[in-house]
Amino acid sequence: MGPIASRLPLLFFAAAAVSLPYSVQRIFLHTGIEKKMGTVQKIFYFHVPLAWIMMALGVTCGIAAAIHLRQSSAGRSRTAEALSIAAGEMVLVTGLAVLITGPIWGHATWGRAWTWDARQVSTGLLWLVFAAFVLVRRYGAAGSERLAAALAVFGAVDVPVIYYAVKIWKTTHPTTDVVGSLPAEMWNSLWPALGALVCVTMGFLLVRIRQERDAAALDDAWIALDERTGGSVEPALGAAR
Amino acid sequence: MSEAVAAPRPAVRRDTTAAVVPVARQAWLLAKNDLRQELRDLELALTAAFFTLTVLMMFALAFAALPAADQTLAVPGMLWLAVAFIGALTLTRIFDREREADTLRAVLTWPVDRVAIYFGKLGVTLLVLAGCGAMLMPALALLFPAAGVFLQRPLDAAMLLVLGCVAYAAVGTLFAAGLATASGKNVLLSVILYPLTSPALIFALVATRALLEDHPQFHTYLGQLAALDVVLVVIASWLFEPVLLGSSATPPPRRPRR
Repeated sequence: MGPIASRLPLLFFAAAAVSLPYSVQRIFLHTGIEKKMGTVQKIFYFHVPLAWIMMALGVTCGIAAAIHLRQSSAGRSRTAEALSIAAGEMVLVTGLAVLITGPIWGHATWGRAWTWDARQVSTGLLWLVFAAFVLVRRYGAAGSERLAAALAVFGAVDVPVIYYAVKIWKTTHPTTDVVGSLPAEMWNSLWPALGALVCVTMGFLLVRIRQERDAAALDDAWIALDERTGGSVEPALGAAR
Repeated sequence: MSEAVAAPRPAVRRDTTAAVVPVARQAWLLAKNDLRQELRDLELALTAAFFTLTVLMMFALAFAALPAADQTLAVPGMLWLAVAFIGALTLTRIFDREREADTLRAVLTWPVDRVAIYFGKLGVTLLVLAGCGAMLMPALALLFPAAGVFLQRPLDAAMLLVLGCVAYAAVGTLFAAGLATASGKNVLLSVILYPLTSPALIFALVATRALLEDHPQFHTYLGQLAALDVVLVVIASWLFEPVLLGSSATPPPRRPRR
């Protein structure tokens, strides 16, 4: 790993440390209060970027899982697998943030925290699919990595279908075209917030990728040692201790 | 046969037109084998039918007094929930047999395309699900007046049932296969199955309600459900071989994490 690549997470966190306070200051002090919704609309600057990041991570996880699945077991790189795990876990984290900030905003503006709107249901189910992904990765028997990867692929495919299906099931749902009709000032405050949150996410993502790759490398080293010593690694290590 | 026994075979020829006919034949042979076993002891059919009856009785007791207007909303839910539960039951059993007799390994060494195994199992699952649906739909129609349309438009109802079951079974068969080989952690099947099949089930719900309400767009929804079926079957058959092989033939050399 090159010197820049190894410092990349740190660079992202440093950028986040600068941009996050800046965007918070900008959102609360230098952006007007929305007329209809009032101060509670400020949550929008966190909720919407987080939702975008969550979707991007979901797609990333699905693609990485598909690559991991279709690679032959002999010549596969660990990167796709590590990326799919890291992105899947980050979907859980960002998704939780989206599912907390969304109902708070909904409670204040629609009067109800959860309205079974198409976006809410598809976000909730997306979160469940990736929770299943993490559960299978963690508790599945040996060899369920590929099962989890298939799960992630389906998860990425499912989301638009769920969105569409719920939309036609619920003919009445609150208008969701908030984002399209914003004044320029609010857009200008959204971008720094998006940038800061992307930096935080990327930092965590890269750290998790590296952890997974290190763990895999450690496994490989262990197996190589095992093969060389003919399966007597445990006693040998015990004696060394 | 001898060259076929070598476990990780080179990828099977993918001449699409030339390959479809043998794959269909192999799938049919595998499904026929399963069906023959099933006819001997009727294990799947009887348990699924019994479960269907129990569920129907619960629905009848719980929702007997439902006003007609609410029935059009409740009946689709009852139908597809029952299908989802019966599906989980069937999918667990359908690969259990292979695991108990350790025959999945034998099937894998056959000179068959792996996709044929998928389609064979999918066919059997579908048959059980459609059979239970064929019990559920008339029974719901008799219990709830709003569902009478199931009997008045049997062709539409049958199409809906088959298309919905295909979507559910397409996803379910893939993951049941993966779990069957992953040393029996079947608990995970429901964790995986319900979130993943929810789009198929919600879509089937939408189409069923449209049928009950005599909605003009019913056939559009049916077409969309068919499109979803195609997408799910294609992706699942594409992923079937890596999932199956990854979890049985070549156990990845990983040390369990401590």
